[in-house]
Amino acid sequence: MRVGVLGIGKTPHKIQHGKSLRDLVVEAGRGAMADAGVAPADIQALYVGNVGSVGFNYENSTGLMSAHHLGVVPSAAVRVEAACGTGAWALHLGCVAILSGLYDTVMVLGCEKMNDLATVEGTSIIAQAADSKEEYFSGLTFPSGVALTARKYMQTYGLSEEDLAHTSVKNHHYGARNPYAHLRFECTVEEVMRSAKVADPLKLYEVCPMTDASSALVLCREEILRAQPDRPQVYVTATQMATGTWYAASDTLADAHELLAAPAQRAYEMAGISSADIDVAEIYNSFAIQEPLGIEALGFAPQGEGWKGAADGSTWIDGAVAVNLSGGLLCKGHPLGATGSTQAVDIVEQLRGTAPPDMQRPDAEIGISACRGGPGAVGAIHLYQRLEGES
Amino acid sequence: MAEIIRYGAYLPRYRAPLGEIQSFYGRPGRPRAKALATPALDEDPLTMAYEAGSAALAGAEAPGTVIAVSQSPPFGLRKLSATLARALGLPDALPLDVGGHPGAALDAVELAGALTAAGGPPALVVVADHLVSHDERVVDTLSAGGAAAFLIGGSGGFARLGPSARARREVYDVWRLGTEPEPRYRLEVLFDAYATTTGAALAALEAASERPTSAYSAVCASQPHPQTLRALERAGVSAEQLQGTSFVGEIGNLGAASVGLALALGLDRASAGDHLLALGYGAGEAIAQDVEVTAAPPAIDAAAQLAGEAIDLSTYYRWTRGRQAEPH
Amino acid sequence: MTVSAIEFSRLGPPKLRLYAMRCGSCGVLQPWWEHHHCYACGGSDLTEQELAGGGELSNYTVVYYPPRDFLGQEPYVVGHITMDEGVLMPAPVVGVAPDDVRVGTRVKATLRRMKLGHEGDIYYSQKFVVDDEDPAAAQAQPV
Repeated sequence: MRVGVLGIGKTPHKIQHGKSLRDLVVEAGRGAMADAGVAPADIQALYVGNVGSVGFNYENSTGLMSAHHLGVVPSAAVRVEAACGTGAWALHLGCVAILSGLYDTVMVLGCEKMNDLATVEGTSIIAQAADSKEEYFSGLTFPSGVALTARKYMQTYGLSEEDLAHTSVKNHHYGARNPYAHLRFECTVEEVMRSAKVADPLKLYEVCPMTDASSALVLCREEILRAQPDRPQVYVTATQMATGTWYAASDTLADAHELLAAPAQRAYEMAGISSADIDVAEIYNSFAIQEPLGIEALGFAPQGEGWKGAADGSTWIDGAVAVNLSGGLLCKGHPLGATGSTQAVDIVEQLRGTAPPDMQRPDAEIGISACRGGPGAVGAIHLYQRLEGES
Repeated sequence: MAEIIRYGAYLPRYRAPLGEIQSFYGRPGRPRAKALATPALDEDPLTMAYEAGSAALAGAEAPGTVIAVSQSPPFGLRKLSATLARALGLPDALPLDVGGHPGAALDAVELAGALTAAGGPPALVVVADHLVSHDERVVDTLSAGGAAAFLIGGSGGFARLGPSARARREVYDVWRLGTEPEPRYRLEVLFDAYATTTGAALAALEAASERPTSAYSAVCASQPHPQTLRALERAGVSAEQLQGTSFVGEIGNLGAASVGLALALGLDRASAGDHLLALGYGAGEAIAQDVEVTAAPPAIDAAAQLAGEAIDLSTYYRWTRGRQAEPH
Repeated sequence: MTVSAIEFSRLGPPKLRLYAMRCGSCGVLQPWWEHHHCYACGGSDLTEQELAGGGELSNYTVVYYPPRDFLGQEPYVVGHITMDEGVLMPAPVVGVAPDDVRVGTRVKATLRRMKLGHEGDIYYSQKFVVDDEDPAAAQAQPV
């Protein structure tokens, strides 16, 4: 498959009390349309990913609201939701729309504004993306549910908390260089270990901040982008989605692996490549442990060894595959509905060569984004390639 | 004749510093208890009743009646006994709430005895209390939390409920007006009423049972305050009779559960042939109940629960005020 | 933000006792929320089975930033308990310092307040305490 990425746009990821959710939507959407050189009237369908506007912002119908304020009325618009995988789902639906032949040009947009409420309220609303009625009723939160996975991983492979701390060090190195990131400071392994406990064994520097952001892509049929050779020829070449268990109590390490490994394998086959061909990866890591798990699932390391790349350099900018050069969710934050779309925007920047120099992988041609959500309930894989001069 | 078949008791594990609480509220004087047994934020009279009731029911015949006694049920306009029965896995038991005053546990025991005297399944009496006050003027009422349970039946027990006697007068010593949240206390009136009515009940029991008060191996009394136990000494109860059953100076006053814990402590130390005297007091009424131990009691070592884990003032404040927060 | 009292009646009463769901097709015991669908075999014939209350802590974490309903109880231990009957239950472990639990600690279920609901209804449920007794000598829960 080939779906053209005509334009991208994103807002900074940070606390933005002065802007509303719709302000962020308009900022990202207009940015993408300007980058694509299209007018709102050219957008035939709009897919808006948003998870918690009813809770965070006391408003609903985010897709319809966005259609109005972006000026795409009377085109089709809808809100998409799949927990933390929402942005990737919006991207998937945008691709499916193009591939179906029903639409020529669509916009995919993710948005979330999490800081209108106090942290403890926000945490409770985030918990609704898991089974807050039954499982989280027992006192689990997302951080503590993932903490259980971290402990299982450490016990299974005989690892220490220091081993896992390298992931945060790498993410913070690049987050400090990303002008759009929420957290922009570097840290050492010692500082990660000393940071405040959130849910044992996870510490503050191993969990993402709650942020406000929006990001968008304008997608088009392959022929439309081919016909504009002066534009960067970046295409989405695979989109594969999966579900897993809705309950952390049912989520084994094997399940966590399979959630991304199965769609990744299908995606590689779909695009006719292998994991060895990947130059850059955006791997969902709202909690640090998810990066090693994703690295393993995508085939970049054997199970139990995904954590090593952050320590030995093989997942840094010059390594075999550069993982989370944006600073990952650990530094960007996890604006629930926008994370998946921001991952796509960040990979497209890498393939275009337009990321800031100290976080730009040289000659990046093939990228992958892996998004996941819920306790272990949704997995999403997208492949992207720069395809110059092909017919 | 009604018998006690099994018993149980539950004290929360946390101990709040009464001295610091008094100091925080600017109350003078030596604290009358070393600490207050404080239920955790996720405990309340229902959960404490469940703990004591479960302990009393372990390995026993399922009761056909559950009688709950509390001055501080977590919810009003509902039956504590009904929810407790369901939690104990007894959905078909007859649920009865008996309550209203600190001595009501002995009312419940008498009722249980009457219900089971003719045979049939036993009745479970559970008393649980945690009176919390948010007004500093009542901080010296030693409000603590705890629960006790007694399985009463027509046969198969280790102790018999003997004669009982009551004495009462109309008095306002501890009361709550209508649906006010705060109990009202007049300690001097309490001390006087406790002394006179318990004295009268003890005298009446002597007459009814032909057994002098001094012949009881232990007196298990409601103890809203250490001073009330000293009043008993003036009524002819010896210090030895109170020694093993006094706890208010350690952990505070357990409200309606007070006489329940005292009786459990007494039963733990009793042997076949002993007579215990359970003495409940509340709202101007003293109830004196003769308990004849006929076999070695299945002791539960309630005294082991008196020691607990210290919590600081801020935790006590958070756990008592916190539970009064408005539903969000 | 209020929630209908109907939510309470759907969720409240069952939590007074500890139970799991037995699949009539494959026999596997599922957690108590699987009313509709057996995650092991896909069967839809699930019935409640009361549990005895004993189990082993197979995983745990310590929460320092609680959700709203657990404010004031932090830090608290919440874990996965493998019940003696074989099913995994998520629940807090209370009455013990976080440093004093480890994977393998034996625990038993008891009743605790879970939260004060949106409209003032009290949700009770099962939490666990450390079981110091020898399992062979432990007495059964009342039937």
